[in-house]
Amino acid sequence: MTGNSAIAEAAIRAGCQCYFGYPITPQNELTEYMAANLSRRKGCSFIQAESEISAINMVYGASVVGARAMTSSSSPGISLKQEGISYLAACELPAVIVNMSRGGPGLGSIVAAQSDYFQSTRGGGHGDYRTIVLAPSSVQELADLTHKAFDLSDKYKIPTLILGDGILGQMMEPVEFHYEAPAELLVRPDGLRGAKGRPSKIIKTFTSDPAQLEELNWSLFRRYELIKKQETACETFMVDDAKLIVVAFGIAARIARGAIKTVRAEGLKVGLMRPITLWPYPSEKIQELAKGVKQYLVFELNMGQMIEDVQLSLAGQGEVSFYGRPGGVIPTPSEVARVISRLYYQKGLK
Amino acid sequence: MNTTVTVTKRLVNSFEQLAPGHRACLGCGEALAVRLVGKALGQNVIIVSATGCMEIISSQYPFTSWEVPWIHTLFENASAVASGIEAGIRALSRKGEFNEKTKVVAMGGDGATSDIGLQALSGALERRHNFIYICYDNEAYMNTGVQRSSATPYGASTTTSPASKITIGQTTWKKNMPAIVAAHDVPYVATACASYPFDLMSKVQKAMNVDGPSYIHILSVCPTGWRSSTESVIGLGRLAVRTGIFPLYEIEDGRYKLNMQMDKLHPVEEYLKQQGRFRHLSPEVIASIQTRVNADYAKLKEKATRS
Repeated sequence: MTGNSAIAEAAIRAGCQCYFGYPITPQNELTEYMAANLSRRKGCSFIQAESEISAINMVYGASVVGARAMTSSSSPGISLKQEGISYLAACELPAVIVNMSRGGPGLGSIVAAQSDYFQSTRGGGHGDYRTIVLAPSSVQELADLTHKAFDLSDKYKIPTLILGDGILGQMMEPVEFHYEAPAELLVRPDGLRGAKGRPSKIIKTFTSDPAQLEELNWSLFRRYELIKKQETACETFMVDDAKLIVVAFGIAARIARGAIKTVRAEGLKVGLMRPITLWPYPSEKIQELAKGVKQYLVFELNMGQMIEDVQLSLAGQGEVSFYGRPGGVIPTPSEVARVISRLYYQKGLK
Repeated sequence: MNTTVTVTKRLVNSFEQLAPGHRACLGCGEALAVRLVGKALGQNVIIVSATGCMEIISSQYPFTSWEVPWIHTLFENASAVASGIEAGIRALSRKGEFNEKTKVVAMGGDGATSDIGLQALSGALERRHNFIYICYDNEAYMNTGVQRSSATPYGASTTTSPASKITIGQTTWKKNMPAIVAAHDVPYVATACASYPFDLMSKVQKAMNVDGPSYIHILSVCPTGWRSSTESVIGLGRLAVRTGIFPLYEIEDGRYKLNMQMDKLHPVEEYLKQQGRFRHLSPEVIASIQTRVNADYAKLKEKATRS
């Protein structure tokens, strides 16, 4: 199954009732899968919107009445959705947004890149808010994290982003789905209804009282702190005896893993730290690793975005080097292996 | 120093605005339309192209097929960028920095025009910028893999409106873009098709001479997305016109004028049966399409008679 189709199938099994799409490469298979399969399910609806802005605002509408709603796009389309995502965050509404990102800026290209890290992890739109950001690195994980994204989003009432890329979306791998689609539709009990015979429910995010606005932002902030404490996730690979740790996410982590196997065969003690949640960032894990390991190599398919989170996490407790490739050409594991071993010798680790 | 070639006693500009070597699919009706439009526009233009087939096939970095000044914008913005260019030209002209009468021409596909770019188009028409907007309508998002748009005809199967046992595919009727544009009271609106090249070119020339906004809606046969044979492109375009599915007409200052008087329309089935996207349609659905086409054509005729 392609990564895009796996996300769509996982979303249907996670009880996604409404999907709103708009064509953009490289995520069209997701929209097409939903068109063919979601609309057949009872009580579910697929709509192709007239623009990305409409698609995200349809999610806003569906979420406000209590339906599990989702949209997907790729970088330029995600930029258009930002105002809507900011609104979802302010209204504390769950939603799942998939970004099969591509290279930018501007139209860029449709090949894999990780240049949307800042946009994804710093809120993305206007206002001081965050979204949970999940970064899968295989088709299986795309499926698993899609399910998780819906649950996290409902649990914390926060929009949740799945950050993939063109390779993950188009790649075909075997995938197992651990869930059956629910027989009953999951409808949030706090959804908006007509006000016949009862006082009306109102969701307000605008206030002219400065104190109220501050309280709204404090309440969001407290929830973000709770998410940081409870939902941070990462994976480590061969870090126990490592002298150098590569930090990479998504498709870059997959390339790095291959590179690490190569240099391990040459006797270099190198490990991998792969954040699965990009926000909240697994800073504590890095701090824990920093007690033993002082050399870090951040590898990204951009010119240095996640490196800032690694440096902030280390707070001077280790030395950080960087290998980045801007969108366009994807380096092979052997290219990355050469970078790793050169650094390893330069730093006198052997 | 335009040279011309003589074709059936009429003079056609030999200048090719769209250079060969672009990446359009075999039998692309849109590439043909762009060539004809280019011949009519000449070289004193600035073209603004929305994202879509035409941008992807003609401007793969570091190459370009455009022999005239050309700028690309994102999907929804061609009319806004054209407005900005036209405003810039006006400002520079007032200061004596820009002394040519350069026409700004915005181009987009049906998605960029009738879906995501409608707001910007409406704004530009309302402000009455001096520009031409050309919609190349191939009736779906072909560049991204044949997803439906609001210009996709009723009953067509696309990847996001797939025909199945429970649905006939696209369940809504094609958005009437020329009427939407005409509702802005613009000086010139026309429909055209590359299967009628002289009609198309004369309409573009008319639009060039309009002071203010003008709009041309061009039906572009797309063998890839319509699942039709590549040699039937011209024939299908003619059939779309002769069945009354896509009639050729102009709206000048609100007055409708039919360019082809057809007393008897060809049956729509002739047109539908040549295309894979309509293959699943039952005789009942085809009959309902025929009824709708007849009614729409009668309405158009009435408008033309009243004008």
